[in-house]
Amino acid sequence: MGGLPSINLNYKLEKKWSLNFKIESRQLLQKGTFNGDSNKSFEYVLTDYSLIAAKKSGLNSRISGGYLFRFREGEATHRFIQQYTIIQQLPRLRLAHRVVTDQTFSSAEATEYRLRYRLATELPLNGQSADPKEFYLKIGNEYISSVQNSDYDIEIRFVPLLGYAMTENHKIEFGLDYRVNSFLNHFARHSFWTTLNWFIEL
Amino acid sequence: MIKHLITGIAFVFFAIFSTHLYAQQKYEKESRLTEKDVPDKALDFIDSLGVERKIRWYLEEGFDRTSIEAKFKLNNQKYSIEFDTVGNLEDIEIQIAWSKWQKPLKDSISFHLKKDCKRFKINKIQIQYSGDQSILLTKIKTGEDSGEYIIKYEVIVKCCNTKNVALFEYLFSNTGQELAVSKIVFKNSSNLEY
Repeated sequence: MGGLPSINLNYKLEKKWSLNFKIESRQLLQKGTFNGDSNKSFEYVLTDYSLIAAKKSGLNSRISGGYLFRFREGEATHRFIQQYTIIQQLPRLRLAHRVVTDQTFSSAEATEYRLRYRLATELPLNGQSADPKEFYLKIGNEYISSVQNSDYDIEIRFVPLLGYAMTENHKIEFGLDYRVNSFLNHFARHSFWTTLNWFIEL
Repeated sequence: MIKHLITGIAFVFFAIFSTHLYAQQKYEKESRLTEKDVPDKALDFIDSLGVERKIRWYLEEGFDRTSIEAKFKLNNQKYSIEFDTVGNLEDIEIQIAWSKWQKPLKDSISFHLKKDCKRFKINKIQIQYSGDQSILLTKIKTGEDSGEYIIKYEVIVKCCNTKNVALFEYLFSNTGQELAVSKIVFKNSSNLEY
């Protein structure tokens, strides 16, 4: 269990291009086993810095590519990201489909290859869209398959968040990021993160 | 580790305050209303229609006007009825499938869209009635014309050109003449994409 605060900056460029810069850190507050021992202590885990360039490919779709730098326990990790998103504007909510492939390189481990699909929905709590000074719910469900050496794993994430649109260009979201992985090996690993996200549109 | 976090946050603040552009994009703001906040005149009009399904009420605040809107389904059609803030009827919009429109009107609308778009796809069409409240009430309840009223057509179109694709709202007269066009601007979605 721990915290996952992040700041996300999005900047629109000319000719349908945009840049996204994100900083996300991870702090552990407690770890252990269910019905077993647990250890409560604060531990800073890592910080991710990512930069993604995106181009609008259709009315509601975007194709992106980028790089993430992770600093963890004195080690640097590099990740290359390829992403495709489609936003569906429905009468009273928005749905986002996101497909990602990424490749993670570090000197400490073998290269990891992942394929991810996330469905996220934004449900306004007042009206048909999340206008400034209004709350909304954002619920995300993601499936991540990964291959590292010959080891295969699946991670499932469920992320229910309460969001608040401070202005058209500033949104803040708070909630839970639940992850389960390694269950293919019969020793499921559950993690519960308190998420605080700040989205800024420049 | 703290040093990295502080460096990152400093970069973020520098990025925010170094930009000269704070884009002020204005959208129409709408919020839900409960029935007790709706003027009696508007409630009475809706009651006269005999709507059995759930009615959603919204307050719509634009640049220079505020209106109250009722959305519901009646006889398997989607209705959107707009009132001013004291409950006077402004217009009635009914969504109708493109396939049910008469050919001359479809041809006229298509002719105008082809001038602006290399390819287009009609997402939604609504017939819009405006005029005297009692005449429109008779029209909606019985289908009969008891007086004069104005008909317009609101068309939401996905318009594709060589370098661009966008969503537009067109307003046509009852004879298919183009009255107005506006581009639909989507709210930013970076919180859904990243």
